[in-house]
Amino acid sequence: MTYRYTVNPSRCTGCRTCELACAFTHTQEQKPGRSRIYPIAYGPDRFVPVTCLQCDDASCVKSCLFDALKRNETTGAIELDKDRCVNCRACVAACPFGCALVDDVHDQVVKCDLCGGSPACARFCPTKALEYKRIA
Amino acid sequence: MVQMTINGKVVKAPDGEMLLTVIRRQGIDVPALCDHAAVEPCGSCRMCLVEITREDWNGWKKYVTSCLYPSENGLIVSTHTPELQEIRRNIMDLYLARCPGSELVQKMAEEYGLTRTSYKTIPEGDNCIMCYACTRICEVLGRNAISAVHRGHAKVISGPFDDPPPDCIGCLSCANICPTDVIEWHDQDGTRAIWGRTFDLISCRQCGKGIITRDFAEYLKEKRQIPADYFEICDDCKRVELARKMGGLVDLAKEVAS
Ligand code: SF4
Ligand code: SF4
Ligand code: SF4
Ligand code: FES
Repeated sequence: MTYRYTVNPSRCTGCRTCELACAFTHTQEQKPGRSRIYPIAYGPDRFVPVTCLQCDDASCVKSCLFDALKRNETTGAIELDKDRCVNCRACVAACPFGCALVDDVHDQVVKCDLCGGSPACARFCPTKALEYKRIA
Repeated sequence: MVQMTINGKVVKAPDGEMLLTVIRRQGIDVPALCDHAAVEPCGSCRMCLVEITREDWNGWKKYVTSCLYPSENGLIVSTHTPELQEIRRNIMDLYLARCPGSELVQKMAEEYGLTRTSYKTIPEGDNCIMCYACTRICEVLGRNAISAVHRGHAKVISGPFDDPPPDCIGCLSCANICPTDVIEWHDQDGTRAIWGRTFDLISCRQCGKGIITRDFAEYLKEKRQIPADYFEICDDCKRVELARKMGGLVDLAKEVAS
């Protein structure tokens, strides 16, 4: 089974439910993590939910000199291996879309991991601006 | 796959995988100070010692650093015998003498009931436990900027000849990996200071926030072919830019459709 994560900005109302869902899904030591997705206004009442595009030839993966970023072949997500990461922030600087970011609460680089195959943002988005669809 | 016994339980593991990794996968907490997934193990801190024996060793046993000992068929491993705990307590006692100011050392020593060392504290101790995590990570990233200099008591981690390291690019990997947090650095007014050198930080073209050092960006560009302009804008501003670009396309598509 293959799934695809899709973003349809014209449906986004900027309610930020995805942001909350993401932060709470990535909880450590009882503290919600920093969200990996941000609905950003680009005009009055117009939003784009900005999140990692899991690029094919990903700059974050290329920039990591310690192989801490690897694709999960099952989910398609590029996942960060916290044990290997030394917080050098090369990936944060290298991602052209700003989607490798720093979780200030945990002082740790983070990025979208598609929640291991069941993205919380898509599950909670009330308008289906975010979807995780089966394509095969 | 090989089969071993760890604390009485039969465990399977890939041939040659280091014991520490196997032990941890079993949910057993063996202390370790010098171990990190991004560098090769070096066996310097000694805290990960375990006892091994085999059926055919006739009761003979030995202690090995589990981070450096490959799995093999028939090993019988114990991780928390009273003897091992006593050795670990002694090691922490010594670390406490060398690094009295390290919070991590204090916390770990406390787990063995130690609040102060029974040895003489090194007065000019600098909290470095000589685990070489910093030099190993700098080697992995391909710079080899720092190493141990001088001998015996005077041994410290530094640049060649104890001078500021010319090959350093100010990436902070060493400072971040250091378990006892002794490598000093600070960012100020668009620059970063570490190891006696000062580096220019790239500041975001849009908001001015410091990103990474220019030398680190140059290195990534040359080594990993990442376009230089990717490094000129911070992650916050790049997300806003992406929203603007994607939004523009969405509006355009709507216009075309209507
Ligand atoms: S911050 Fe971590 S994941 Fe990112 S490049 Fe550095 S080591 Fe790799
Ligand atoms: S900051 Fe300098 S010494 Fe430390 S890991 Fe980076 S290049 Fe090596
Ligand atoms: S400075 Fe830190 S990382 Fe380097 S040898 Fe000392 S304790 Fe280990
Ligand atoms: S972790 Fe094995 S000696 Fe330090």
